[in-house]
Amino acid sequence: MLRRYLRLLGIQLKASGLLAVQYRADFFTEGLTSLFWTFTALAPLFVVYGERPVVEGWSFGEALLVVGWFTLLQGILEGAINPSLTGVVEHIRKGTLDFVLLKPADAQFLVSTQRFLPWRAFNVLTGLGLFVYAFSLIGRGPSLTGLLSSVLLLGTSTLLLYSLWILTVSAAFFVVRVDNLTYLFTSIFDFARWPSSVFQGVAKGALTLVFTYVIPLALMTTFPAEAMLGRLPLHALAGAVVGSIVFAWLARRVWLYSIGHYTSASS
Amino acid sequence: MISVRGLRKHYKVHKRPPGLKAALRSLVHRSYTTVKAVDGISFDIRPGERVGFLGPNGAGKTTTLKVLSGLLHPSEGEVSVDGHVPRLREEAFLKKIMLVMGQKQQLLWDLPPAETFELNRAIYDVPAAQYKQTLDELVGLLDIGDLITKPTRQLSLGERMKCELAAALIHRPRVLFLDEPTIGLDVSMQATMRTFIKEYNEKYGATLILTSHYMDDVAALCPRVIVIDKGLLSYDGSLEALVQRVRPEKRVVLRLAEEVDAARLAPLGKVVTHEAGTAVLQVRQEAVNATISRALSGLPVTDLTVENAPLEEVMSELFAENKARRAAEASAEEAARESVSA
Repeated sequence: MLRRYLRLLGIQLKASGLLAVQYRADFFTEGLTSLFWTFTALAPLFVVYGERPVVEGWSFGEALLVVGWFTLLQGILEGAINPSLTGVVEHIRKGTLDFVLLKPADAQFLVSTQRFLPWRAFNVLTGLGLFVYAFSLIGRGPSLTGLLSSVLLLGTSTLLLYSLWILTVSAAFFVVRVDNLTYLFTSIFDFARWPSSVFQGVAKGALTLVFTYVIPLALMTTFPAEAMLGRLPLHALAGAVVGSIVFAWLARRVWLYSIGHYTSASS
Repeated sequence: MISVRGLRKHYKVHKRPPGLKAALRSLVHRSYTTVKAVDGISFDIRPGERVGFLGPNGAGKTTTLKVLSGLLHPSEGEVSVDGHVPRLREEAFLKKIMLVMGQKQQLLWDLPPAETFELNRAIYDVPAAQYKQTLDELVGLLDIGDLITKPTRQLSLGERMKCELAAALIHRPRVLFLDEPTIGLDVSMQATMRTFIKEYNEKYGATLILTSHYMDDVAALCPRVIVIDKGLLSYDGSLEALVQRVRPEKRVVLRLAEEVDAARLAPLGKVVTHEAGTAVLQVRQEAVNATISRALSGLPVTDLTVENAPLEEVMSELFAENKARRAAEASAEEAARESVSA
């Protein structure tokens, strides 16, 4: 079972790779835009920290860790999650989801792995590069436990992002045009580039609460950065693990319910 | 192989009159109507049978196929395909069936069809040896050797449809649902597709349900037809018997050496067409022999054939009959209601 799905994943990845190199001009433009967006994403941080050395308890180096996580997750989101799931919305609208549902394999797996953008791996590498630079500014390395828990949090963050996307896409079964929802999602995700405590002053901390529990952006970037710095409490780590599993379970239920309500498109 | 009992598929659709005012009102107060796409049909299909689903647009043909393939859940009724309940979408069931839609495609648009075949091989878990054998066979029969390595988007509609069919058959489905597989194809490509589909059915004993607007497809492939109209089953039986029932008259086609006055044709039968040295007469079956001998003795006939009425005509007459019957039933009901209230 697992081997079959791994093989399927391999074939889907290969198809995406082939697609990426199918058109030469596209290949190089994709690469250049990836580079451009990664570096412009760093600009706001330099502006803010150019004025003051510490913001809400986060030094420049520490905040850079959050940006590192943001960049890395953005790479995963845009390279591995976004393309496939944007494709689902299109499938639903055109009725070609029929073909996915006719296949003797898990439909959620098939739609989630149908498209990857290999160039976004560059964001992931940049994220890793930022970690190295950030720790050189802080003047020490992460502890082993810090490192291990941040790796664990990478898993939970990816799961959270993916589940949020599945929930968004599931809405497409009922409202068909969810393009706006996907834009909203990407814009909200942008907040994750800042440590969550930065929003403490906004609306008496309500925004921090929202980003921790409702749209768990804090769990995705601030928690792993804090784990690397060795200051994430154990209960927060456990909360992130449990929270992401609950989210994934919820997303799966919603997806299965939505498939049952698929009405296809007339031919 | 396939059993359908009292199948109903109803949709609730939001309805509003045209215009801005109605549109604004519908934001607050929405009125719904129920569309009965399929409204209680039953039939059985034996293994290896080739059955044509016929009916006007919106009759419920595609809906029925989608229920049979597990894409849509029935509102009511029992459906079983080779012992499986389609809506459960069990892997064992999905490995046995395939739905080919002439208007939608599964081939990866920017990559060559060979990549889709490879993907389907992995999804359907086809053993390597069987995959190679099936693929060689499909490539040979459909003559697509040169096509499967070209990007799909560069193929013509007909070429793409052949590759679609190959992609659908990689796992050798035992039940094949074909929804307008020849739509938009030229005559020779349609013929190629028909020959191929028939060969596949004969070779693998696959059960086949076909919907098509091209009556030639149905005539060539389906000894049995099921006619659905407004979600109801209006005929189930052999194609020949249907023609006999709806249009028992034969067509006598006369090719004439010289122009003949219309008055000389009229006594022979109902003149359907008469132009450019060809006359088509509609004659009751029992009168065919007499008509032929009278035509041969009295007219300058160079060639003569006896045919059934074209299937298109048979079908439109059947649909017209159904429509008239529904209208009569509705007005009878109305009259009954009025007499009760009076």
